[in-house]
Amino acid sequence: MKKITVNFTLNGDAVEVSCEPDKMLVDVLRENLFLTGTKIGCREGECGACTVIINGDAVNSCLIPAAKVMGKEIQTIEGVADKGKLHPIQAAFIEKGAVQCGFCAPGIIMSAKALLDKNRTPDRGEIREAIAGNICRCTGYVKIEDAIRHAVRVLNEKSARGGEK
Amino acid sequence: MMKFIGKNMDRLDGVDKVTGAGTFATDITAPGMLYGKILRSPHPHARIVKIDTSEAEKLPGVKAVIHHGNVPNNPFNTAAPMYTTVPYLKPVLDQLIFCEKARYVGDEVAAVAATSEKIAEAACKLIKVEYEVLPAVLGIEEAMAADAPDIHPPEITPEGKNIVAEIIRIPPGPPSDALQKGFDEADVIIEEEFRTNVQKQCQMENMAALAIVKPDGSITVHCTTQTPHPTKAILAKAFGVPASKIRVTNPPYVGGGFGSRIGLSGKSEVVAVALSMATKKPVKVVYTRKEDFTATDTRHASIVNVKLGAKKDGTFVALDLKGYTNTGAYCTFGAELPGVLGAMTLAIYNIPAIRYYGHSVYTNRTPAGAMRGFGNPQGNFALERVVDMMAEKLGMDAKELREKNIAKAGDPWFLPYPCSSSELAECIRKCAKSIGWERRGNLNKDSSHIKRGLGMAVGTHVSNAWPFCVDYDNAYVAIQSDGSVNLSVGCCDMGTGISTSLPQVCAEALGVKWEDLTITFADTASTPFTIGNHASRGAYAQGTAVKAAAEDAKQQVLDYAARLFKVSPEALTIEDSIIKPVEAKDKGVTVVDPTTLPGAIEEAAAAPVPPPRDHKIVKPVNTQGPQKGISLEGLAYYAHIRNKQFIGVGRTIPPNAPPWHCVAAEVEVDTKLGTVEVIKMAAAHDVGTAINPKIVEGQIEGGVVQGIGYALSEEILYDSKGRQAHTSFSAYMVPTAEDVPEIDTFIVEGSDQSGPYGAKGAGECGLVCPASAIANAVANALDVKVNELPMTAERVYELINNH
Amino acid sequence: MWQKYLFPEDVKEAVSILSSSNGLARVIAGGTDLMLDIEGGRHVIEKLVDLSRIEELDQIREENGIIKIGANVTCTKVATSELIQRKAPALSQGARKLGSKQIRNIATIVGNVVRAQPAADTAVPLVALGAVVEVVSANGTRTMKILDTYGAGFAESNIDSTSELVTFLYVPAHGEQEGSAYVRLDKRKALSLPVLNVACKISLAGETIKAASIAMGPVGPGPRRAVDAENALAGSNTSAENIHSAAQLVRNQCDPRNSLVRGSKRYRVAVISELAERAILQAVACAKA
Repeated sequence: MKKITVNFTLNGDAVEVSCEPDKMLVDVLRENLFLTGTKIGCREGECGACTVIINGDAVNSCLIPAAKVMGKEIQTIEGVADKGKLHPIQAAFIEKGAVQCGFCAPGIIMSAKALLDKNRTPDRGEIREAIAGNICRCTGYVKIEDAIRHAVRVLNEKSARGGEK
Repeated sequence: MMKFIGKNMDRLDGVDKVTGAGTFATDITAPGMLYGKILRSPHPHARIVKIDTSEAEKLPGVKAVIHHGNVPNNPFNTAAPMYTTVPYLKPVLDQLIFCEKARYVGDEVAAVAATSEKIAEAACKLIKVEYEVLPAVLGIEEAMAADAPDIHPPEITPEGKNIVAEIIRIPPGPPSDALQKGFDEADVIIEEEFRTNVQKQCQMENMAALAIVKPDGSITVHCTTQTPHPTKAILAKAFGVPASKIRVTNPPYVGGGFGSRIGLSGKSEVVAVALSMATKKPVKVVYTRKEDFTATDTRHASIVNVKLGAKKDGTFVALDLKGYTNTGAYCTFGAELPGVLGAMTLAIYNIPAIRYYGHSVYTNRTPAGAMRGFGNPQGNFALERVVDMMAEKLGMDAKELREKNIAKAGDPWFLPYPCSSSELAECIRKCAKSIGWERRGNLNKDSSHIKRGLGMAVGTHVSNAWPFCVDYDNAYVAIQSDGSVNLSVGCCDMGTGISTSLPQVCAEALGVKWEDLTITFADTASTPFTIGNHASRGAYAQGTAVKAAAEDAKQQVLDYAARLFKVSPEALTIEDSIIKPVEAKDKGVTVVDPTTLPGAIEEAAAAPVPPPRDHKIVKPVNTQGPQKGISLEGLAYYAHIRNKQFIGVGRTIPPNAPPWHCVAAEVEVDTKLGTVEVIKMAAAHDVGTAINPKIVEGQIEGGVVQGIGYALSEEILYDSKGRQAHTSFSAYMVPTAEDVPEIDTFIVEGSDQSGPYGAKGAGECGLVCPASAIANAVANALDVKVNELPMTAERVYELINNH
Repeated sequence: MWQKYLFPEDVKEAVSILSSSNGLARVIAGGTDLMLDIEGGRHVIEKLVDLSRIEELDQIREENGIIKIGANVTCTKVATSELIQRKAPALSQGARKLGSKQIRNIATIVGNVVRAQPAADTAVPLVALGAVVEVVSANGTRTMKILDTYGAGFAESNIDSTSELVTFLYVPAHGEQEGSAYVRLDKRKALSLPVLNVACKISLAGETIKAASIAMGPVGPGPRRAVDAENALAGSNTSAENIHSAAQLVRNQCDPRNSLVRGSKRYRVAVISELAERAILQAVACAKA
């Protein structure tokens, strides 16, 4: 099978990958680009462990052919911290005890980030909607919601002080 | 005043996990790695007549094809404690790497190693297997019938047709007339039968093993096991290789467990090792989610019979309990689990005459093994339903009936360790207050089709598996030459936070600064034996070993420092990594160079040759106080250049102690559809001391939500051909974030002396009572008998309309 | 699984690729169902024809009382479209319930129709709303009612994605005194297919129901119109009793399977009328608002 070349922006950097034409995005990220932060839970779009952000939207990378993302902007968990400084969502997950086994964490953080990048004042329903496609079997979601609400407060405080986004 | 115990220290693995930098077995690769895929039986019961692998072997990219005929066939049990069980239950070693006879749809028949997963899968399809299909049985009663097929050779089922191992009797021995005498005292007797269905752990990371067998015969396995050390022992037995040549490790994180991988992770480790032996290359086997559903241990479905007798003032006088658990095609934990079902259910209330009879039954279904609660949720549902029914019959409040009968600290009981503590009464009070228990019975005034109900359940569990199974731990604490500390313990952190809680115990016992302590865990090559993480034993049992190791290290440090201070060791302590006089506890001291202490000066003067030149590499500590202290770094370096390291060793067998819990639920039932919505849950847990309260809360909350699934939506059903109907997340409904009600969580601290700093077990406890509480709430809302879980909308609709 | 992945710039090019590929090229818009189908061996293909660069297929627009929705429009866009929330709410409600946010961000409502599942969250409302699809192939353009796109068997579409593609959906916008609603019975609130779903569109004249359109699933191979209930409602008063009696008639067009996963036939037939009643009542309330 003849390989294809896919170009896209990944965590702010231009990337070019050569792969089989029917390879899925999650496998390109994990195998070609060695970014194993994005996890595989089901390969059916039913658990959200593989969630990444494409052009601002949270999507299941296990269902997206790599070829489809030509020219798009992709964010993975590896791109969330800023040169080692944790994003408020990541810091909140630790502070609020929202991380247990950690397998769902990258996906659920991406879902939360996709929400907060667009909506700085989500209500409870919007937070739940954003993460309802991410299965967490460990936490019961309670501290995850606490963490996201806390991140909202922190991000809004930062904006109010004129700080970074 | 504790520095670390009871504090919400941030998890040490937090940054790794939120940045995606932390690695799991599914992330690990090795140079030259091949991929393994497994061929599974499509029949629930079939003899394997012939396997032809010739076509598969020819496929380009295929490096090995293995099956029963070309791998070692030493019997084992994938379950860890079963392999190393106490004498009075004989081990049931009924598994092989590949079956010689298929016993369920999914049984491992063969495997392929190839250069890609795709090729390995394609090759599996080319393996030709000739089966002789045999009659299959799926249900407990069906499998015990006289004409049922023998699923295993009858020699291993001496107690009866398809009955696993030994029948469990509590009290042991033939029945006496004590129970009947007990029932003779009863004014009211209630007798009911309950059924629960299969639940699945659904941990987020699938089973995975990367096996590297080297030309020298050494075996390394990176995998998802909850118990690296016992898994090493199982592999040694399965392959006839000395355990010393095997290394098993989590790399270092495991994406959940909930009992699915106590011992082997399905067959992933043995298949990966066998393929690596055959190909002489690293081989990685990663289960698909479908394989997780169909071919890894589930919770046992059960039939539980309860007969409860009480006096009209509510005193329970007799309890007769019977438990039958569907263990599927292989025993795994099926021998001992019925015992836990019985014991944990009999232990809740102080009842003078009690009896339990129970056992597992082989059927041609996916093997059932360990899942959070381990038989306790099944028994708890049955008894707590009957207690509610008894309350109604007696005209008593269900909460008061429980309060009257629950076992209390110090009560004599049948378990082989004391009922050393219980705050269950306070747990009940907290739940009742949170849920608004006084509203019960007054919630449905109008004729709306929405009915509301409140329910409650109480329960207990264990803090480890002693003395029911082999259960012990080792740990060591090594102080480095710069005063930083390595804690080494073979635990598995599958999400429970044990890799943070154990350092908390260590830091507290040793007196060391938090940032100076690092834990090495999970790897059998660098940690001493521990039975691993199951039975809610991490904090209690491993904590006991860690505390012992830390105290041993501390004693060595103080003995050594005492010579330099020229005081007795009892006069010194360690705090914030500073060795100081006991009177200076919680106060500042002036930290000096150890060589300036009187004992050190004497030593130096008495030395036959001048002492080694002490380089100024020890960091100064700028605290002040009237007394003198030395930094742990200073002392460790002083000792190091005199050829000494402080290594504390803890070798412990834990005792056991009961945690207690109460859960209350408020539900709303739409009687026109049968749908149940949980409005609120309250969960109060007596875990003794919560070493890290945030972590314990997380365990409780996770258990509550799993309990909602167990109560309402989670089940795996089988069709008439013995095939699982629920084989994916799209069919098997675990709760999502939009399904979670309001949850009030309470940690009720107690005063147990037996565990480290008063800690008791917590891990499984969250899942013991929630489904029982929800069932009681639904029964309360509808005024019907609820005798089956899960209470799907369809089942509830039938209850409403057949009432 | 496939060897070539193509991005045509316009509809004409897409059709040209399909018609010259001997049935071995297939349309992909979002692809969330398609990927699972291909992985499961349902299709043998060589090429995928990705529509996402064809800009005209991105639109949601009202023209002369008809809402035009392009083949690339995702469920998220439909669920959050103010226009659709106001003028075809059953559709936005259905789109909101499909799968999860991640799926809705990619999956298209046209794809939901073409996939031909009986219980599709957007196809069932589209049937009730009287929507049609425009289908383009090398032989020209035709318009089909949604129900006509469903074949005789389970999950069979009469639209052949190897030779033709749906370009637009046309959904009649609500006029004065018109309303619609979507109701769903499910085993959990996200990431679940409906056990049953009902969509209803109501046209009122004061307190009289001029016309009712009720679609249900999964009660057969494709969505079903509850024609007996519709006829009972037409011309009748909006009283609760009338609506209740009419709702009982939806059972006449219900023939669900027994499913170990979704539920028994008996249960689903028993409760479908309750769901229909709720959908009708909500649609009436919407029409009155």
